[in-house]
Amino acid sequence: MGSAFGRFLLRRLGLSLFTLWLVSVVVFLGAQVLPGNPGRAVLGPLADARAVAALNKELGADRPPVQIYLSWVGGMLQGDMGESYSYRAPVAPFIGAALVHSLKLVGMIFLIVVPLGVGGGVIAALNAGKPIDRIISVASLSLTVIPEFVSAIALILIFAVILRWLPLSATWPDGAGPLTQIRYLILPALPLVIVLFGYIARMARAGTVEALSSDYTRTAILKGLPWRTVLTRHVLRNALVPTITVIAAQTGYALGGLVVVETLFRYQGIGNLVLTAAKAKDFAMLQAGILTIGAFFIVATLIADCITVLLNPRLRAEMGG
Amino acid sequence: MSRIIKNLGSLRLGRSALENHVIDELLAGRLDRRAFLRHGSRVGMSMAAMAVALKTVGFDPIGEAKAQTGKPGGTIRIALTAPAGKIDPVTVSDQYGLLVLQQVGDFLVLDGPDLTLKPMLATEWKPNDDGSVWTFKLRKGVKFHNGKTMTADDVVASIERLADPANGSNALSAFKGILSKGGTKKVDDETVAFHLDAPNGNFPYYLSSDNYNAIILPADYSGDFEAHMVGTGPFKLEKYTPKVGATFVKNEDYWGGPPLLDKVELSFYDAQQPQVLALLGGQVDVIQQVSVQGSQSLFNNPAVNIIRLPSDAHRQIHMKCQKGPFADKRVRQAMALTFDREKLIQGLFRGWAALGNDSPFAPIFPSTDKSVPQRRQDIAKAKQLMADAGTSGFDVTFTTMSIQELPALASIIKNFGAEIGININLKIEDSGAYYGSAVPGKSDWLDSEFGMTDYGHRGIPNVFLTAPLKSDGTWNAANFQNKEYDKLVTDYVAALDLQSQQEVAGKIQRLLLDETPIIFPFFYDYLTAASPKVKNMQPTAMGQIFLQHATVG
Amino acid sequence: MSAATDTADTAAPLPAPAATKERSTLGILLRSPAFLVGAAIVLFWAFCAAFAPAFVPYDPLADDLLNTLSPPSAAHWFGTDQIGRDVFSRVLVGARDILTIAPLATLLGTTVGTAVGLVMGYFGGWVDAIIGRLIEVLLSLPLIIVALMVLVALGPSTPTVVVVVGLVFTPLVARTVRAAVLSERHLDYVPAAAVRGENALHVMFIEILPNIWPPIIVEATVRLGYAIFTIASLSFLGFGVQPPSPDWGLAIAENYGVLVGGFWWTVVPATVATASLVVGVNLVAEGLQRAVAE
Repeated sequence: MGSAFGRFLLRRLGLSLFTLWLVSVVVFLGAQVLPGNPGRAVLGPLADARAVAALNKELGADRPPVQIYLSWVGGMLQGDMGESYSYRAPVAPFIGAALVHSLKLVGMIFLIVVPLGVGGGVIAALNAGKPIDRIISVASLSLTVIPEFVSAIALILIFAVILRWLPLSATWPDGAGPLTQIRYLILPALPLVIVLFGYIARMARAGTVEALSSDYTRTAILKGLPWRTVLTRHVLRNALVPTITVIAAQTGYALGGLVVVETLFRYQGIGNLVLTAAKAKDFAMLQAGILTIGAFFIVATLIADCITVLLNPRLRAEMGG
Repeated sequence: MSRIIKNLGSLRLGRSALENHVIDELLAGRLDRRAFLRHGSRVGMSMAAMAVALKTVGFDPIGEAKAQTGKPGGTIRIALTAPAGKIDPVTVSDQYGLLVLQQVGDFLVLDGPDLTLKPMLATEWKPNDDGSVWTFKLRKGVKFHNGKTMTADDVVASIERLADPANGSNALSAFKGILSKGGTKKVDDETVAFHLDAPNGNFPYYLSSDNYNAIILPADYSGDFEAHMVGTGPFKLEKYTPKVGATFVKNEDYWGGPPLLDKVELSFYDAQQPQVLALLGGQVDVIQQVSVQGSQSLFNNPAVNIIRLPSDAHRQIHMKCQKGPFADKRVRQAMALTFDREKLIQGLFRGWAALGNDSPFAPIFPSTDKSVPQRRQDIAKAKQLMADAGTSGFDVTFTTMSIQELPALASIIKNFGAEIGININLKIEDSGAYYGSAVPGKSDWLDSEFGMTDYGHRGIPNVFLTAPLKSDGTWNAANFQNKEYDKLVTDYVAALDLQSQQEVAGKIQRLLLDETPIIFPFFYDYLTAASPKVKNMQPTAMGQIFLQHATVG
Repeated sequence: MSAATDTADTAAPLPAPAATKERSTLGILLRSPAFLVGAAIVLFWAFCAAFAPAFVPYDPLADDLLNTLSPPSAAHWFGTDQIGRDVFSRVLVGARDILTIAPLATLLGTTVGTAVGLVMGYFGGWVDAIIGRLIEVLLSLPLIIVALMVLVALGPSTPTVVVVVGLVFTPLVARTVRAAVLSERHLDYVPAAAVRGENALHVMFIEILPNIWPPIIVEATVRLGYAIFTIASLSFLGFGVQPPSPDWGLAIAENYGVLVGGFWWTVVPATVATASLVVGVNLVAEGLQRAVAE
């Protein structure tokens, strides 16, 4: 069975790399139709055409597009992500810094949404059909579809403008400690928490309902085990499998939803970086940024699939057979 | 009276015809104090000589550095928008990068907030008789941050670097037709001569702080500015982090005396709002520039000082003159007549702007002819002009950028057009997409029939008169082709004295008012916001902030 | 957005194909309070989109530069914005653009997606494999980023937004339709048609399509909710509906900057309107999903 799972993993990894390569081609083709040119973006609209030409030459942006792409691929194969046209420096540190920012925010989001979502879903399941279940279900259904910028405005108005409990900006002062950083991250995290709460709560509720009606739960209850033990040992353990899958899959989504939140809160994350790079026609930065997001997305999905396969006895058996 | 004449007599001795002309104009009452300072400084009269002349006719002498009221030491924290790219003096193209450069570097000449030129690394400058060769004397004993003394070689190398097309300098467009590669020559260790492509009465402005890129660097500058930032400026680099900010410490050896502050901290932000919040929250002391929209919480706030500098920054609304619906100048005049300029200034700028009269001659330029009648909203006349042109209206697309108040202004312009039957569709795009490659055929800016572009402040109107309006102008989005205009502008640029500049300016203003290739609705003030504890800080409408005498608390 | 929507797909029980009893479906819908509330909200905004310009107190585009940012009053129920436009009138008329663009984009995405899904499901084999791979590439990036990239490149305009959002949704629809086709393929009528000598187009569109419309309708309703979500977000980022439209996302983007100054009335109405519309559409979609499933 181990080797079967290994083969599955290898195949998926290979496909992922292939997908990433396709993504890079798509970005490359897309970059060709982006307006403007890198030298112009750096020097501004009022610069002399000769200056723009000279700078493009220095940057190597005047080479044929295919050559730019091939030399970029060559660099990538040696682990070099290339140089930013705008900053005329390697892109890796920029990507790294932006990714750290984004991951802090994503971490904050899951720190809040996982307990809330799982708790809400389990409570709803335990009270299936009662008013509390209806409230949680309708709330999760409705909140999920509210665009991040809409809920963000409401939250900003309440917590930053009226109550003044939380800072409005996501950018903490230089050298701020972890606690201050967390305080600054709460408000930007909440809009995505609201979107994700619905999915997680729904999965947790469905999983719990199924586990509650299963044979092993009934057996456990019949055996006379205390309710608390039944709940933690049997119900929750099984109910959380699909929930974990959802959470892993949502990591990638959170990274995408960050574009809006990062713009709204002027947060220097990866979404912001990609948008700026696209506007400046900063080819290497754009490629690296998008591939980073794509890689995260793919890895998150892969982890979700692996968990599903490993935890689902039927699928495991199929692979073993 | 006899004493005055004697004073002037001694002052006139040894002065060029040009300098004497400036003194004559002062005496004749054609120049007020400010204009006198400005023009005297332009032709290179020393501050001392000007002070004597001013005293003679009853003005106060030029003040020394302001009395120091704050206590020395401490750190000033300034918020600004992140510079668009790498900080390299040769290529910097925005006022954010300029603010970084200006802390560590000096210019030959300083264009102060009153548009008067003051000596910086050059102590005096003089044109030859026709203004085609300008000679600059350099300040002695100026040291770079690396300990080396600045000489004429450094100045020649710095300016040549900008004039050489191979270096991709942003100053190339400013120098075009004025100073070419090879035109900068060392005379001796303390003197540099600039041989111009054509006579220019305003050349010192091109080497002043008006020209972002013209800070003086060591002759052996190799391009790695972000790492060292070696200049001659009042502060030395401590740390620079792209997209984050920079810190500077005071330069004890500064030629102007050590600054009072210990440290300068620049923090980069993505947008205005977080800067406003940071100032209100006490995380920064100064915001380099705020726009009226979105800064409402700073106004009428006792915890914030707003420093208003009149400027000639403006928005140009171009209409294609050669073909399309605006080819008939009566239609262009009609469109301009729909603008209610007073209301725009009130509604968009809280009144903090000056009226524009459809030419680049802003009220703050001394050469502006103020007798040209101001164009005001006149819908009846506009309708009549439309009828005369044989049109009852048409559809047109208006293209502009999504920055500051431009989208709001575009929505208002759509309503203006509707008054006379012009149905305007808006196309509002990212500034990168708007400028495109900035060459005709590959730029919405230059290709659009009807559009709006933002222009920052300059010390002199020359660039505004040439690039967007001359027949061969590189930013001529209106496709304005007018031989008479081209001739007038050449005259204006070459004019060495204020009176002839004013005469030509009047002709240009009337011609542009009649032709109306571009609507100039207003010139808005440059606003800097600061905490009241900041004292003696001197911002300029170019975006520089001079901090030598500044204190915090 | 894609992973979120994927989950919605898998979370929803796959609707039972064929043999749908229209009457009882309608009955179920009419007995569901959530569906009725959702439908009422959507109908209200659809009514505003169609007729509001005729009855709002002010021209939603008319500026009044001497009366900017004035708070709610008898003259202006929801106050005025930064250039003195009446916020109440703008919010009511603001439903117009989103309720035009989102359904068009959904229609496009559903049509193309259905066609692609039919082809994949019917032919299978290498056709299915290649298209499947392409879909996976598209879905390996958050959809809003894909949409943003394209709009940065092409510049925002209403037709571009319709096409981009429509095409971005195509792979998701295609996947759902493919799954539905796969469950139909082996039913007797498909091989029967092939035996009769019908060509592939006929089998796909005349034989199979009528039998899989319930999941397609549900998918389209769900997509409509996300289209509104996506287009509102794009407008907010400056890549959707263009000024001077009173569109909600755009209004929020334009006035968000003055929120700190205390001018809440410039953004709150548009915020509430957007939230109510997406929730309304979602309740309708959920109701349909349940009804079809039963």
